[in-house]
Amino acid sequence: MKADPIFQPLEFRNLTVKNRIFRSNISGRFDNEDGSLTQTRINWECRFAAGGVGAVISSYVPVRMDGRIIAGYATIHRDAFIPLWQKLGEAVRANGAKYILQLSHSGRQMDIPGVHNMHRPSPAPTSNKETLHGFLCQAMSTGEVRQMVRDFARGAWRAREAGLDGVELHAANGYLFTQFLSSGINDRTDAYGGSQRNRARFLLEVIEAIRDKVGRDFHLQVKLSATDHNNIIPWEGKGNTVADTVQVAQWCEAVGADALHISTGSLFPHPLNPPGDLPLEVLAVTYDAMISSGVHGFRNFLAFRYPMLRPIFRWLWFRMAKGRPIEGVGFDEARLIRDHVGIPVISTGGWQSAASVREALAHVDGISIARSLVANPNLLQFWRDGHDLPPKPCTYCNKCLVGVPKLPIGCHELDRFPSREAMIEQLMEVYDTKPEFRIPAPAAPAEETAEVS
Amino acid sequence: MTYQTAVEAELARRRRFWRPLLVLIGLALLAAILLAIALLWRVVQSGTPYYSDIDAHFRHGSIGAEITSGIPYKVWKALPVLYPDRFPGGDYSSLGFLYDGGDLPIGIARRRVRGVDLVWFNCAICHTGTVRAAEDDKPIIVTGMPAHQLDLHGFTEIVLAAAGDPRLAPEPLREAMKQAGVGLGPVEGLLWRFAVFPQLREGLIDRAARLQPLLDRQPAWGRGRVDTFNPYKVLEFDQPAASLAEEEVVGASDFPSIFLQGPREGMQLHWDGNNTSLAERNLSAALGAGVTPETVDHAAIKRVADWLRDLPPPASQHRPDAEAVGRGQEIYKETCAACHGWLGPEGYMFEGAYLGKVTPLADIGTDPARLNSYTQAFRDAQVSRLFAGTPHAFREFQKTDGYANAPLDGLWLRAPYLHNGSVPTLADLLEPPAARPAAFQRGGDVLDPRGGFVAPPCETGKPCFDTAAPGNSNAGHLWGTDLPLAQKADLLAYLLTF
Repeated sequence: MKADPIFQPLEFRNLTVKNRIFRSNISGRFDNEDGSLTQTRINWECRFAAGGVGAVISSYVPVRMDGRIIAGYATIHRDAFIPLWQKLGEAVRANGAKYILQLSHSGRQMDIPGVHNMHRPSPAPTSNKETLHGFLCQAMSTGEVRQMVRDFARGAWRAREAGLDGVELHAANGYLFTQFLSSGINDRTDAYGGSQRNRARFLLEVIEAIRDKVGRDFHLQVKLSATDHNNIIPWEGKGNTVADTVQVAQWCEAVGADALHISTGSLFPHPLNPPGDLPLEVLAVTYDAMISSGVHGFRNFLAFRYPMLRPIFRWLWFRMAKGRPIEGVGFDEARLIRDHVGIPVISTGGWQSAASVREALAHVDGISIARSLVANPNLLQFWRDGHDLPPKPCTYCNKCLVGVPKLPIGCHELDRFPSREAMIEQLMEVYDTKPEFRIPAPAAPAEETAEVS
Repeated sequence: MTYQTAVEAELARRRRFWRPLLVLIGLALLAAILLAIALLWRVVQSGTPYYSDIDAHFRHGSIGAEITSGIPYKVWKALPVLYPDRFPGGDYSSLGFLYDGGDLPIGIARRRVRGVDLVWFNCAICHTGTVRAAEDDKPIIVTGMPAHQLDLHGFTEIVLAAAGDPRLAPEPLREAMKQAGVGLGPVEGLLWRFAVFPQLREGLIDRAARLQPLLDRQPAWGRGRVDTFNPYKVLEFDQPAASLAEEEVVGASDFPSIFLQGPREGMQLHWDGNNTSLAERNLSAALGAGVTPETVDHAAIKRVADWLRDLPPPASQHRPDAEAVGRGQEIYKETCAACHGWLGPEGYMFEGAYLGKVTPLADIGTDPARLNSYTQAFRDAQVSRLFAGTPHAFREFQKTDGYANAPLDGLWLRAPYLHNGSVPTLADLLEPPAARPAAFQRGGDVLDPRGGFVAPPCETGKPCFDTAAPGNSNAGHLWGTDLPLAQKADLLAYLLTF
């Protein structure tokens, strides 16, 4: 009998993963305000490791406080957090998987700025505000860009110091790297804007800086959006094509990337990523947490809140997804890129059935999955047992996605549960922490002050 | 201290930027709302003045003609400004309309319809005239006498010509209204721009398209006359003027007097005696004045009709020799009374074997055009289509074969004589047709001692009543023409007292 391609090890230059399935980037707001991670995150990541995936790729981890997309996600901007990440890495490995940390910066795509960022526009390559929510930003000076390059390298160094298995640069989905790469967004006139090479300069310099900082033998992969489809708001430019991204992928390989992780879209979320529905009726109760984040927040909220207005947003959103599959929505582009590079390529986008994953693995090297694993963390066991799909598969309803601003991360599709209580119970599992509470050391007694007469 | 988020700061900056514009938009919106309320307030207003004095009601009260036939009051006021050549006197008196001190002439009623004041005819337009003893006297207005001075044809021509006249385009008309002292206010201006001007032109074009081809086939009616039934055919029954037969297309006849209607109940009314019901005759006349079955104001008409039942004509101002009158009365009783009743000391006596009955055309011999204009087909349409299914449906109309023998009350005010007004004086009527004036000027109100009004011979450049024109024949009614001269003089003396 021929070996199942899903369960074949994947050998990167600096890392071997036991099978071809990666837990794609996903997280909840369960870390501390200061960016330090919590037991909840450890529980969350380990759930997937225990489910059998070859590697867990962390969710978005900012290298600087001014690059948080959502306050409440852990950061790697301080050396002091290295031991915490180390603990997380150990926990995931103890559950049988590798842990790859995604280094990120929001640029202008900052959903919930938090106390650190609410008073200032985000640093970005452009001063043009984000198009969907109207998030404000301020174009970085050339010097600030160079500082940003160094901060990414520091972040990678901390990941290595923490003993993690590798890092991924989040150069997809509309965050800082995409804002540089995309011809629809980058309006710089310095060396980091204009030609495609210039727009890619920031990403390539970061890769080089990381290599300088951590050496050649540390796993470094880059997540790219194959196509920007930047024109959700119809009058925006379309951005990069897949041909542009093939070129960028080749440059990444040339400067030392070990692998590529291929997604799509120059915004997040995007009609094609994560593919599936967009439950506006859920946004009507969660988007209020983002109203004050951007200048279009209230407008959007009205479009979600009032059913009469929803068709407008629905039209904007779904016109792009029309005629495209959900499962493997980005596969063709990932395969095209794979054909033009010599390093492994991981494809993401709605994967769930064993048959399609097996078929895809004939052309790409790995498959990353988030929502289908949120629904069924033990998806791989179903596959190993010969099932194509689990009995209650992910419905692609995207309620987990749009719940992020207000609700705990997890599956919110009530139909998949016997009862609402069962759903809540599953959502609460990751919070099952047994912290060793510590009594803060009392402050030194203050000098008695003169009594006020 | 609280601090602003970047987004709040940006939104505040935008508010500061947009505030002046928003204020302007808000003000504009407020103005638009106020304007809409003002417009609505105007548009919901409908009604017509009520005149407690019955004569005033007759002269100025509405019978419901304005609603579909009327023109806006302000256009009425502007027409003399727009057509100074047709209104040399500056107002409608140039066309023989009579003014009794008011803004509108007698016979023009006013009604506010959906916020626009409209004016149009009532009964008094055709049934109020003037008389004076001599040229220098002030004309006396007499309610109920024929409007022998009124040039309804001229008025109709002006209105129809206006339909295609560039001077009636909104801008010149607006200017003319301003000159006439009835300029449009701002709210009213809007109402006119979007509703009144377009409707006015459409209405006039429609009316002209139907009526003009008819007028083109007729000689001018002349003062004091109207074609009663042919306009009715083209306007009310949508019958194309071209489809009217040659013998029916000319139907102009004199306005009649409308004194003492009560005793006339049951007589054959109208010149050709086509109806014996006062109520039906009244309603039919109102249709002629422009009411429609939908807009007719039955109460207003009934009020007039009730009053007219007993309205006496003023006593004759002629003072003929009393003895001649006495002799004339004897001749009259023998020669005329059977058909026309007679005047006694108690007033007019509505008695006579043939009074109020039709004398066949073969016997009376007067012009047949008016008789022929009322056709059987038209009669059938009247009966079956107007007010059908209501208590007001016509039942009594009949096609006759001659002209009705009318009572002669108020005869001194009813010149020119015969149904078509083809004989200027009573003296002329007692002459054989060949000796009657072949052409004369109509419309005078100076009493002629020969009975009637002074009707000078035609002059170049002035409208002329030519008895040779179709419908204008002065032939027929030969009774009395063969009397000896002295008897004729006595008969005339008696008739002058009527």
